Amino acid sequence: MRITTTRFGRIDVDGSDIITFHSGLPGLEGCREWALLADSSNDALGWLQCTTRGDVALAVVSPRRFVPDYSVRIPRSELTPLAIDDLREAQVVVVVGRTGKKLTLNLKAPIVINLEARTGRQVVASGDLPLQFVLCSEQPPLKKSA
Amino acid sequence: MLVLSRQRDESIMIGDNIVITIVDIRGDKVRLGINAPSEIPVHRQEVYEAIQRENLRASRLAPSDTQGIGRLANRGTSNGQPTPPASRGIEPR
Repeated sequence: MRITTTRFGRIDVDGSDIITFHSGLPGLEGCREWALLADSSNDALGWLQCTTRGDVALAVVSPRRFVPDYSVRIPRSELTPLAIDDLREAQVVVVVGRTGKKLTLNLKAPIVINLEARTGRQVVASGDLPLQFVLCSEQPPLKKSA
Repeated sequence: MLVLSRQRDESIMIGDNIVITIVDIRGDKVRLGINAPSEIPVHRQEVYEAIQRENLRASRLAPSDTQGIGRLANRGTSNGQPTPPASRGIEPR
């Protein structure tokens, strides 16, 4: 499949790179099919590119690489639609945002991907986690949930 | 808006597969139990709306904004796993 994107120009994606989000994502409910792409200029970064809207893409990272003490608890009911019993079977990524000049990570709503089934879902993690965790070179310890 | 009065342990059915039960009432706080099929997402409204706003904001991020994110990674704690496991590389414009 060839898709035309605003960020990466025209790209060819294999069916095996496409992940289906059956419920879309909050705010982007119409975007159900996304291609998971590696950023060739940055090995810490990936992009979820919507296959139907070339202007919609989300930068994603593995949270543990940036926030080593991030331990995510997700209600089981959030995982059953993905046919995942245990988070260890899944790939968990978080969305990169920006506030002012600082990059942020959405630790409250990670994206869980069942790589085998190629399905994904943005879930709401339990506990008091920030939607905009500011990344800086000196990481403060992650606030523990109450 | 439909308004119904319920007491503790009473329920409301929405359609034939969603049941909302009043579990507890204390002062101005009501605890609800929700039984719904797993494909129906259930969220606290203000949390869901905040996630919507954050996703929309994040979806406007440009590749140039993410330059230097690698320097912010804790390489010492990385277990060598590529992030994320995408097979296809792309070059930002």
